Amino acid sequence: MTKYLPFVWKNLTRNKLRSLLTCAAVALAIALVCLLMTMPAGLRAIVDTFANNTRISVHNEAGLVYPLPYAYIQKIRALPGVTGAVSWTWFGGVFEIEKGVTFPNFAVEPEHIPVVFDDYEIDPKQLEDFRRYRDGAIVGRATLERNHWKIGDLVTLRGTVFPIDLSFRIVGEIPNQRAPHFWMNREYVDQALRAIGSSLDFLGIVWVRVDDPQRVEPLMREIDAMFANSEAETASETEQAYFKNFFSFLQGLVVVILIVTGLVTLCIVFIAANTASMAVRERVGEIAVLRALGFGKRLVFGMLLAEGMLLSAIGGAGGALLALVLTDLIRSQAALAPQMGPLGNFIVTPTIFVQTLFLALFIGMLSGLVPSFGAARRSVSEALREVV
Amino acid sequence: MAALIQISDVSRLYRRGADEVHALEHVSLEIESGVFAALMGPSGSGKSTLLNLLAGLDRPSAGSVTVAGTRLSELSDDELAAFRARHIGFVFQFFNLIPVLSARANVELPLLLTHLKKAERRQRALTALGIVGLGERAEHKPSELSGGEQQRVAIARAIVSDPEIVVADEPTGDLDAKNAVEILKLLRELASGFAKTIVMVTHDPRAEPYVDVIHHLDKGVLVDGESEKSARRGQAR
Repeated sequence: MTKYLPFVWKNLTRNKLRSLLTCAAVALAIALVCLLMTMPAGLRAIVDTFANNTRISVHNEAGLVYPLPYAYIQKIRALPGVTGAVSWTWFGGVFEIEKGVTFPNFAVEPEHIPVVFDDYEIDPKQLEDFRRYRDGAIVGRATLERNHWKIGDLVTLRGTVFPIDLSFRIVGEIPNQRAPHFWMNREYVDQALRAIGSSLDFLGIVWVRVDDPQRVEPLMREIDAMFANSEAETASETEQAYFKNFFSFLQGLVVVILIVTGLVTLCIVFIAANTASMAVRERVGEIAVLRALGFGKRLVFGMLLAEGMLLSAIGGAGGALLALVLTDLIRSQAALAPQMGPLGNFIVTPTIFVQTLFLALFIGMLSGLVPSFGAARRSVSEALREVV
Repeated sequence: MAALIQISDVSRLYRRGADEVHALEHVSLEIESGVFAALMGPSGSGKSTLLNLLAGLDRPSAGSVTVAGTRLSELSDDELAAFRARHIGFVFQFFNLIPVLSARANVELPLLLTHLKKAERRQRALTALGIVGLGERAEHKPSELSGGEQQRVAIARAIVSDPEIVVADEPTGDLDAKNAVEILKLLRELASGFAKTIVMVTHDPRAEPYVDVIHHLDKGVLVDGESEKSARRGQAR
């Protein structure tokens, strides 16, 4: 069959501009599909980057916005296999409320941070200061940079959940470009609340560090069983699952984008089909002559289909290469400039590359099917009568 | 010995909407091997329909067409295509060359259907172009050739696979007088020198001296034939 390829190629090059434009349309669609196909694995990689496999979160079964009694944390710390547990309680403080400057800020127990979040690589000296100073705060690098803060600065957060405004001294940072957190001393918040006749006797989430990954699943069951049938039942999940919940809205977005991409691909099929129809219509006479010379229906059909598939495959390869180069470029930039952050996780793998090439071939096949079939089936004598 | 082309009581009916058009009615005709035959008649007389039938491009509504001992109506579409590739060469009024291919590549096209190697296909195409006097113009595109030269390329394409029969539909219809005569001479030479059976549809009265026999058609009916054969054959050679 390869002996027909030069002829197929010659036919493709007879209207170079049209072939080029069709090729470009396919290339762009395939590049888009290629990039989107990197998203699920990219998001998984981001979750894996954030999440630790021996850290679990325990929150109210009714939802993250519902609190748990503070006494729970002591019972959890007492369980075998638990090396540490720290609570996060949403303070809801806002910096410069008129500008809407906000970030996730939690009241935590500083003495338990080193055990539970040892992988955050916070400077031990800064952790020591966090324990020592009641008004100390540890802030994620993302929030530090966004607000142009530095260690030693004093900042005031206006409470939106609690009727208190608190001033903090920044004593350390979470050295992670993606970390937005602002941690404050739980005791400091509690004392401020007591001063106005209230107290912090509840918590939002308990982060639990487990000594062995194998114990994570049984321990989650044990914790949830311990608080079953209580006034506040718990739901435990791994940190990965916790982040996945946060990313779930993104997964929905991916589905929407995939649907749109599917529609774009369908449009490309129609564009390519239109091109194929025009190419076939212009060559009714030539096709009839080929048939007269002895080229069978199937051979003519195959050659016309091959034209569409070859054009589409070239466009597809171009598009996949474009996506590959683009993601490589972003990854190399992300390595140099960490603010590009998670974008570096989107990788065009060989599997994605091959899959999109097959998609391009499928587009070519689908678009060429009807015009090629019609041309091959047409009566030779009738077609010749039109042109001879 | 049986004639190379036998057409027995052939009719061809077309439907145009509710109307029936009788393109051919009860035509019987035999053409022997090596003969240069012309089909003549006014427009709409059924010449091209008859040519299409004997070339295996169309099927009769009634009657039978037998070519080289094969009854064409018994062949499937694919078998008919293979039959055409093996036994019949085509020459058209408007040359119908593929514009993106060189003269050599155009001539080589029918050989793609054979098992010949690339080098041999190329060699045969060049030989066929040499026969029609265009060996030097082999790598030219059709747009770079004159009408007469394009028709010569088309004739080379028709004979490159060495078929017994060449059918030509108004081969001089789009040529000036000089080129028309050259093409008629070339076809004559193919019949005499290469023992090809040539069936040509033409309006061109200049063709008469070059053909062995003229079959006249009118309103789908064969009105004469054999009577002219002996008279023309002498002049044509």
